Amino acid sequence: MSWDKEVQELQRRRYLAQQQGGEAGIAKQHARGRMTIRERIDVLLDDGSFREHGRATASPVYDDNDELLEYVPANYIVGFGAIAGRRITVGGEDFTLKGGSPNAAGLRKSVYAEHLAVQYRTPLVRMLEGGGGSVKGGGKKGGTVGEPVFTEPRFKIIADAMGVVPVISAAMGAVAGFPAGRLVASHFSVMTEHTAQVLIGGPALVERALGVKMTKDELGGAAVHLRSGIVDNLAADEHDALAQIRRYLSYLPSSVYQRTPRYQVDDPVDRQEQALLSIVPRDSNTGFDMRAVLQMIFDTDSVFEIGALYGPSQICALATLNGQPVGVLANDCLHYAGAMTAEAAQKYRRFVEMCDTFHLPIVNLIDQPGFMIGPESEAAGTIRYGMAAVAAAAQSTVPWAVIQVHKGFGVATAAHYAPGAYILAWPSVESGPLPVEGGVAVAFHREIAAAPDPDAKRRELEDRLREARSPFPRAESFAVHELIDPRETRPVLCEWIEWIQPQLDTLLGPTHFPARP
Amino acid sequence: MAKQEVESEVTGNVWKVLKSTGDSVEAGEVIMILESMKMEIPVEAPVAGTIAQVLVAPEEQVEEDQVVAILDS
Repeated sequence: MSWDKEVQELQRRRYLAQQQGGEAGIAKQHARGRMTIRERIDVLLDDGSFREHGRATASPVYDDNDELLEYVPANYIVGFGAIAGRRITVGGEDFTLKGGSPNAAGLRKSVYAEHLAVQYRTPLVRMLEGGGGSVKGGGKKGGTVGEPVFTEPRFKIIADAMGVVPVISAAMGAVAGFPAGRLVASHFSVMTEHTAQVLIGGPALVERALGVKMTKDELGGAAVHLRSGIVDNLAADEHDALAQIRRYLSYLPSSVYQRTPRYQVDDPVDRQEQALLSIVPRDSNTGFDMRAVLQMIFDTDSVFEIGALYGPSQICALATLNGQPVGVLANDCLHYAGAMTAEAAQKYRRFVEMCDTFHLPIVNLIDQPGFMIGPESEAAGTIRYGMAAVAAAAQSTVPWAVIQVHKGFGVATAAHYAPGAYILAWPSVESGPLPVEGGVAVAFHREIAAAPDPDAKRRELEDRLREARSPFPRAESFAVHELIDPRETRPVLCEWIEWIQPQLDTLLGPTHFPARP
Repeated sequence: MAKQEVESEVTGNVWKVLKSTGDSVEAGEVIMILESMKMEIPVEAPVAGTIAQVLVAPEEQVEEDQVVAILDS
């Protein structure tokens, strides 16, 4: 007597569990311009690599004869798969069932996703679409309520995961409540431009609590969140979002216990771009395109920017140098003159902590006049967030290379040097406690006020100090390792990449300060 | 046609106004240049359109988030 009957029944239940919200539910999802969770998983992963966990999870309903009447699949799908041959954990809500709000087995599986990723040390990709819990589930009389007091808080593993494996989240529909919390508890997040919103509470809750009528898009659409910093990158559609996730992961190790991957690249290490010689204008008030600088230094097409619209004076990107993934920091002087605003500082700290967590070396190109000053900046609490950025750099344990490209003034500059940084400067470097212009007005105010023509005196002092601002003394004093021809930047950095390889071998394991949301 | 407000992201002074009413602009094209933190800060058109109104003049002071121009897009 074999177990054939049970095996056939098992196959049937697995089949039923894969039917999602049925043809009608799936058609509705497609009509909204969105893929189903199973379609998303197929697009994200290498072909045929998905290994689902809990293939028969569902809420069955039986008749009096114990015959299956209804089989409601768990509305969270989770499992392993591969991206570029490397194992990852992937999970997401099935919006074709109950609007993604967790049903019993679905909730268990969603909580399991972090455990799975941490236990097997794989990156975690969450594809989020749905609301949090519903009050409908509660209120049963008798029985138990709440979780036992000895239960580990559900959120602990969500926080812990960020210190162990890369966590990436995508908003691919309305993401509200708990799922919105999971979205931000990530190292990288992306949302689709037209089909996603991220909300702590949706329009109905907002209207009830605050009497304000707003649409989902007005409350938490892409236009809101790219500037709020809640979501790092925008995607044109779901395919773009999934491609960005694959790309982001290509720079990172599978967990803190492994080294970053290293790639073979065709870009010559001795490539020297002529345009670098003149890209920084001699007139120090005129801006230039820092992103063009990055393209000329890092491996061809390897620069992947993160959070471009949030804190725009600070550029954060991933890139490779002779095939070695690195974190890239740089200032964009076309926004806030490159100054560190409260938002730029938060973006900076979060990025440095991510690089530290996964032992990514950092290359930092500085053009920063200091903290942003003025009434808005004071009211925004810039100095606190700025000092958090300074602390993140000062306690960083990964190798840093710093290129003093142009300006570097004041306390904010301290955020750009980690212990043991390899420090290079271009001839265009200008640095000191304060920019010459503002600094002269403060330091020589009595002398200027006493002069017959104060304006002329101020200009004379500024000119004198500017002339004395030669790049050579810092090289002569070993205040920088090397003053370099800007065209040499790529060759010099590519050599540095080889110097740090032994250090990268020994930097494995968790950091003292794991990345937090 | 929709009206699109163009805001200054930073407190500073208007240095040069490069576009005037009726000029058409591409998304990302510079409408005016501010001077702030001793740097020239461009104000770009957020979308393509036609300049309906320029609300500031050179040497005028502007605040963060102040509307400095209006586009018909």
